Amino acid sequence: MSAVEVGNRGRSGPGSARGVYAKAGVLPVFEKQRQRFFWLLLAPVLAILGVVTLLPTLYLLITSFTPLNLANPATAWDFSDPLVNYRTLLTDDRLHNSLWVQAKLSLVTVVLQLLFGLGIALLLNVRTPLMNALRTSFLVPMVLPPIVVAIIWKVLYSPDISPAWWLFQVLGWNIQTPITNAAWALSAIVVADTWEWFPFTMLIILAALAMMPEEQREAAVVDGASTWQLTWYITLPYLKQTLMVAGLFRLIDSIKTFPLIYILTDGGPGSVTEVSNYYIFVQSFSFSYIGYSSAVTMVLLAMIVVLSWVIVRAVSGGSNGDQ
Amino acid sequence: MATSKLAAAARRNEFIANTIVVVLAIITLLPFLWFVVMSFKPADDIFAGIDGFFFKPTLENYTSLWSDRFASSMMNSFITSSVSTILALLIGTPGAYALSRATMKQERTMSLLILASRMAPPVAFAIPYFLVYRYMGLLDTRLGLIIVYLTFNLALVVWLMRNFFDGTPRALEEAAWIDGASLWKTFMVIVLPMSGPALVTTAILCFLYSWNDFFFALTLTRNNAMTAPVEVVNFMNYEGWEWGKIAAGGTLIMVPVLAFSLLMRKYLVAGMTAGAVKG
Repeated sequence: MSAVEVGNRGRSGPGSARGVYAKAGVLPVFEKQRQRFFWLLLAPVLAILGVVTLLPTLYLLITSFTPLNLANPATAWDFSDPLVNYRTLLTDDRLHNSLWVQAKLSLVTVVLQLLFGLGIALLLNVRTPLMNALRTSFLVPMVLPPIVVAIIWKVLYSPDISPAWWLFQVLGWNIQTPITNAAWALSAIVVADTWEWFPFTMLIILAALAMMPEEQREAAVVDGASTWQLTWYITLPYLKQTLMVAGLFRLIDSIKTFPLIYILTDGGPGSVTEVSNYYIFVQSFSFSYIGYSSAVTMVLLAMIVVLSWVIVRAVSGGSNGDQ
Repeated sequence: MATSKLAAAARRNEFIANTIVVVLAIITLLPFLWFVVMSFKPADDIFAGIDGFFFKPTLENYTSLWSDRFASSMMNSFITSSVSTILALLIGTPGAYALSRATMKQERTMSLLILASRMAPPVAFAIPYFLVYRYMGLLDTRLGLIIVYLTFNLALVVWLMRNFFDGTPRALEEAAWIDGASLWKTFMVIVLPMSGPALVTTAILCFLYSWNDFFFALTLTRNNAMTAPVEVVNFMNYEGWEWGKIAAGGTLIMVPVLAFSLLMRKYLVAGMTAGAVKG
């Protein structure tokens, strides 16, 4: 058996080497060697991944059963009432408020990002040099370091240095900055977050549009369909799954929102912009209630795992998951 | 007649669409441009309202940064990001290759694990790492940050490199085995050299993720190992807001990020959806 022949067979897909060597009669020894070699390569990464991610998560779970408070070292390994934190979180109004704020922020930003992302992707979905250059400029907000995005919006929302407020002054409008106004603070975050992340949904939608089969569109054009009809009856149904995946990604990511809130409002005024992630940060790193914040984090993690599972299902189970 | 009318309508529609896109692009870029321009403004003009619209550009905001602790924080950012990236590639690439070639049964579990480690809010890692580092004396050290950055870099390397290996033909490796090359030698001499571009792409993504980190640096460092993003935010807490310095510092932090990510925008989505979508 020549190497060329082996090569050709090898290209046919995974596991083909097995067949080749079985015929050559060297399977048992070589295949065993091969599997051992693979495990040798895999062992370090599995071990280290376990140490750096699974162990900390386990430790987090353990501390969530203690009333650990850094001001009082005796609380570190106190398991006398393991569920105390989980009972507390059922009656913690500030936590419930933070979940509600999170839900509002996540829903509104995801919807806005999908709308803007879709709209701009549809407009950009033409291959001209102008559009290619513009595509890149739309990506800028997404690739900026999140902390810089937060600072940029801090500038825009600070009346003494913001160009918007100069304009308001010229027009004679007296407008208060939204980030210190309880009625508008969350909206201010929504605007900044939408600006930062609509490029993400736009990119994913553009990638899907590039793969869209032409036949259906062409057939509809021949039948005299208008651009609106094409978009509504052909493009949008095609994008349904893409939109769902992009939305889920943004939904999960929105749970992590931190720099915007830290820089713009610090969770205030009062607690109108205090999302759960931020509440945990305050409880753990400002008040040192490590035990309690661990319990809240576990709940948040559980939510994220469920949502991630939905994504994996959606992507691997869908019919046109071909991005 | 009818066709020329149609063509005219199509041209008009295209013109309108183009105009809308250009206007939207300008609106999108304005906040960012304003910030960069601000970093070149003298302090007086920053607060001068509309009168400060035209100004004489200056580098004083940048030069004042270098006489500051900002330089050492940039150094910390650079060292922690690059060392963590190199470690993740060294540990993760062989594993990714093995995952791609061995037949795995728990495909979906793997995906979920990688996705979950990318999706977990940083605070979930920051709390246990803070406790352990306090005990081990790793708080406020570069080593501490390097290890924490492995939490997301390793998963990213495994996912992206496995995708790459899945797409490469096995023929060459098998030919090398037939010719008597050892498994290890085949990996080093045949597989790695052809992974060059994929390794570079993955490295850049890992570097950017670490460079952009704010939360871990905020919670796990105080002075010595503080990275640039946290240092810039510290300018906000000093007496009087030094907006010029803040803008200059922020601009310096985003320069490498902008350059790299726009160069490789094709791979941005692959990195951000790691665990779920094969790039």
